[in-house]
Amino acid sequence: MIAPALAFMVLVHLVPTAAGSFLSFLDLNTFTFQQLFGAPWTGFGNYDSILFDSSNPLHSGFTTAAGNTAFYTAWTVGGTLVFGLGIALLLNRRFPGQRIVRTLMLTPWVVPSFVVATLWQFMWQRDAGIINKVLVDYTGIVDERPTWLLGENSMWAIIVPSIWRGIPFAMLIFLAGLQAIPRELHEAAAIDGAGPWKRFRHITLPLLRPLIAIQLLFGVIYSAYQFTIPYIMLGTNPGPSADLLMTLVLRQSFSNNLFGYGAAVSTLLMLAMLVWVAIWYRAFRRDFAEAT
Amino acid sequence: MSAAARRRLTGWALNALTYAVLLAMLAPVFWLLVSATQTQGRLANGTLDLLSPTFDAFSQMWQTIDFERYLANSIIICTGAAAFATAFASSAGYALARYRFRGSRAYGLTVIGTQLIPGSLFLLPVFLGFVWLGQNTPIRLLDTHVGMILVYTAFFTPLAIYFMRAFFQAIPRELEEAAMVDGSTRFGAFLRVVLPNAVPGLLATFVYAFLFAWDELMFATALTEQDAETIPIGIRNFIGNYNEETDQLMAAGVVSTIPVLIAFFATQRWLVRGITGGAVKG
Repeated sequence: MIAPALAFMVLVHLVPTAAGSFLSFLDLNTFTFQQLFGAPWTGFGNYDSILFDSSNPLHSGFTTAAGNTAFYTAWTVGGTLVFGLGIALLLNRRFPGQRIVRTLMLTPWVVPSFVVATLWQFMWQRDAGIINKVLVDYTGIVDERPTWLLGENSMWAIIVPSIWRGIPFAMLIFLAGLQAIPRELHEAAAIDGAGPWKRFRHITLPLLRPLIAIQLLFGVIYSAYQFTIPYIMLGTNPGPSADLLMTLVLRQSFSNNLFGYGAAVSTLLMLAMLVWVAIWYRAFRRDFAEAT
Repeated sequence: MSAAARRRLTGWALNALTYAVLLAMLAPVFWLLVSATQTQGRLANGTLDLLSPTFDAFSQMWQTIDFERYLANSIIICTGAAAFATAFASSAGYALARYRFRGSRAYGLTVIGTQLIPGSLFLLPVFLGFVWLGQNTPIRLLDTHVGMILVYTAFFTPLAIYFMRAFFQAIPRELEEAAMVDGSTRFGAFLRVVLPNAVPGLLATFVYAFLFAWDELMFATALTEQDAETIPIGIRNFIGNYNEETDQLMAAGVVSTIPVLIAFFATQRWLVRGITGGAVKG
């Protein structure tokens, strides 16, 4: 019964992944594109120019995008988990309209990323955007109109909507985790004189640890592979402040026909994720000992 | 102040905070609706009039870009892919939920492993493979519905398997055993007893895959040129060519959100159970 799915997965995941790694050793560019997989073999040539050839513009393009991706991933995952947990704690209390509030809170997650990016691109605009209107015209928190979609700020322009869209999902999982914590634990600790912060720190947080672990694992992978939001908001070339590895790969491969280079960067990214999984496994292995 | 009064006060303060957070979370969605129902002129100079919304943008957007084509392509491709992914996932998820077979753990790891592969790493060979097929055989996959359905099905099957497994695990084993005692084969029991009970799970898996496919942009960018372009590509073209028509752009955003919004809230109960069930149990 698993045969159809297995055959499909092997065919469309494993074979192309192997082929992709193979491509990263080829000198596949505009001139050799007609040969496809028969392009000249260059060994570690692509890797060499990406990692070590500091005179090559592709090298600085890669290091910039790699740094940006790490920054984007750390802030997006961190922000999503912190706000997701905070809101889950708020919603875990009893209050009027609990059901409808919990449901409505999911809305940002249902809005497709490409709509999120379109919407926020308009909101960030310097003159007509609502964010500058609120910050400058309505409240006067800021005197000068900041430019969000260009230069240094553009990284934040993609991080904030990413967090906004990620929060509901994190909240949903934390809320389920919170509801599974027996009420008696908190009551017993309260009788012993533990305040809310102590109870959160020593009961809630340790019990949510497996859920935090799972979300860290997939959150980092998902964010490191983010493409839609920067691409829609900032175009094919988001500039050095906000270029992520995914936008870099797509641009170099499909606009500049540097397929070998794109495949090499993708392979490096996958290796980085394998390292991340190994680190993650060492850190959280014990949390899943009884589950597996 | 007495302890009881203080507790009530913090309670109110936290309630107020909860509603404020909800408003903040919904504000961008509200702004999407507002800007879709204001004229371009009002949006540009900031003189909004919330009391007289206009729906002109919703009729003009179909002329500005060929949105009908994008919408039709998205519906065909996402429905096809979600249906195939759900079908594959129901058989594989059932096997994973019921049997401990040699390699079942490895199989589970493979499913997770597929999530580790950056899309771009298999996008490039898939693209080159499609080009090669187009040049050397009569099989046309580049820029076709079939090609996109094929890719998306593979893309979303692993997640769908995890989803379905959680639903099958929730169905008591005794149901099938009873059917088999009554002379049903294992497959017959699966077909007549398990599947009908798994309908909410099937529906939730379908919607989940559909949501993801609807939102996919990277593969659509690389593998379509004209005939199979989906909505995200349409939106991207819109931004590139008609950036000043913000009201229509926002209207297009609303129109592309409505189908997934309806699908989500119609199946929300089961969808939430699939997401949290899978995560909480590990």
